[in-house]
Amino acid sequence: MTTEITFARVVRAELTKLRSLRSSWLVLGSVTVLAVGLAAAIGYGVRGSIRAGEPAPGVADAVAMAFLPMDFLTLLIGVFGVLQISGEYGSGLVRTTLTAVPRRWPVLAAKAVALVVVTTPVLAVSSLAAFGVCQATLGRYGASLGDPGVAGAIVGAAACPVLMGLLGLGTGAMLRHTAGAITTLVLVLLVVPALLGPALPGDREEQVLKYVPTIAGQAMYGVDGSGNPFETLSPGASAAVLAGWVGLGLLAGTAVLRRRDA
Amino acid sequence: MIEAQALTKRYGDTLAVDDLSFTVKPGQVTGFLGPNGAGKSTTMRMIVGLDRPTAGTVTVAGLPYRDHSAPLCQVGTLLDAKGVHRGRSAHSHLLALAQTHGIPRRRVDEVLDAVGLASVANRRAGGFSLGMGQRLGVAAALLGDPAVVILDEPVNGLDPDGVLWVRTLLQGLAAEGRTVLVSSHLMSEMAVTAEHLVIIGRGRLLADTTVADLIARVAVGSVLVRSPNATELAELLVAHGAEVTGVDRGLLQVAGLTAEAIGDLALAGGVAVHELTPQRASLEEAYMELTREAVEYR
Repeated sequence: MTTEITFARVVRAELTKLRSLRSSWLVLGSVTVLAVGLAAAIGYGVRGSIRAGEPAPGVADAVAMAFLPMDFLTLLIGVFGVLQISGEYGSGLVRTTLTAVPRRWPVLAAKAVALVVVTTPVLAVSSLAAFGVCQATLGRYGASLGDPGVAGAIVGAAACPVLMGLLGLGTGAMLRHTAGAITTLVLVLLVVPALLGPALPGDREEQVLKYVPTIAGQAMYGVDGSGNPFETLSPGASAAVLAGWVGLGLLAGTAVLRRRDA
Repeated sequence: MIEAQALTKRYGDTLAVDDLSFTVKPGQVTGFLGPNGAGKSTTMRMIVGLDRPTAGTVTVAGLPYRDHSAPLCQVGTLLDAKGVHRGRSAHSHLLALAQTHGIPRRRVDEVLDAVGLASVANRRAGGFSLGMGQRLGVAAALLGDPAVVILDEPVNGLDPDGVLWVRTLLQGLAAEGRTVLVSSHLMSEMAVTAEHLVIIGRGRLLADTTVADLIARVAVGSVLVRSPNATELAELLVAHGAEVTGVDRGLLQVAGLTAEAIGDLALAGGVAVHELTPQRASLEEAYMELTREAVEYR
């Protein structure tokens, strides 16, 4: 094998970078513990309420409970994606990286692949375990894997944070500064949906909100069209919408990476 | 071989590098000199494709840096010692770099050994001293066994041991036939390290010369002459085209004639000479003279 740059090699290098940082394992470990732990706590709490006389949840609500913690854990993975590149600008490592791969775009593409490779198994286990633990604590009031829409929601709960991580990566590549990129990500994911509602007139609100990344992301781990205070697209369509945002973010990030002096 | 042609870099209204052309040849250490802010780092970043030139071109081994299929094996670069993530070990840092090119893992251990970091290879780079960070940067530059080595201010902040280490290393690399370009704002350091000098100020080329030539150029100074018959000697020298200034009783400063010529004339004229001292400007002074304007109008 000749010594030269190939995309597979750049991916391997980016995997080494992710795996060799203690903070990576800390973040991914925390996400797993919180996803499962909080799902168990919620399930336990709801079971208490049911025993006290409240109505038992339907399948959609039982699934929503299990994945409620995902609403903010996605943000954690988003920040993880931001740091994957903004951390290189902060430390000056990016100049070393770009002298090794001067064509530049393979670096961002490889970071995206590495992020997916590292986070997907962790989140697959987390979301499956969160669902299992939550339904177990709910006991006979819980949903089961075979119920309609449940399998899709579990896949969505794993895929949404991965996509949010990629959105963070794109944002980090665009803005190049950790603080600025994290602030922007929080604005986009938390503040924009909260302000957009009141800002838009009546029915326009319903038509626009479902395309916002946060709402589309949450719809990915709901059972079709319910369990959410807003009108949403189907999980599949929501995934496509979020993937679209991710694509835009990564394209813009690539443009900045290629054009600007490092 | 590094070839820069009419290289220009503009940041807004400031011209950081202005129509700079030079060639860096293999087999010798080329010092890249200039006051702080002269455009040395910007030029080096343009050589390795980190900054895009506003105009002009620069090639390494005949190709623009970006067009090399294995750039780490063509050019080794040390731009700033800080190019490492604080949380990553030296070994992991170098391994990730090596993996982009498919450079074998054992090469990582080799370069760590070569720079003397083998014993701390698995420690977090955040805890490294400035000197250790610099060594890690050098290890990264040598990873691909490159024919061209570019180092930006490698001795900055190093202790005397470290300075000597870098100097020996650079001369060793040049002796192996590699092209070595090393920047510094210290003439004294370059005088003992480099053979060739590219001197810039305010982004412009001030001199592209050898250390020996620069010394020869500045050697055209004056001669201090002491004589018991100074007045008589002064008349004699002026008659032969010299410019003579009286410095003290019996002491003359003579310009326009070499010490040898003055001695011969004195002998022929039968005038005793007690001292004959060529006044050489030092390399440092020559450099200051060259760059003074560049510093003044910044």
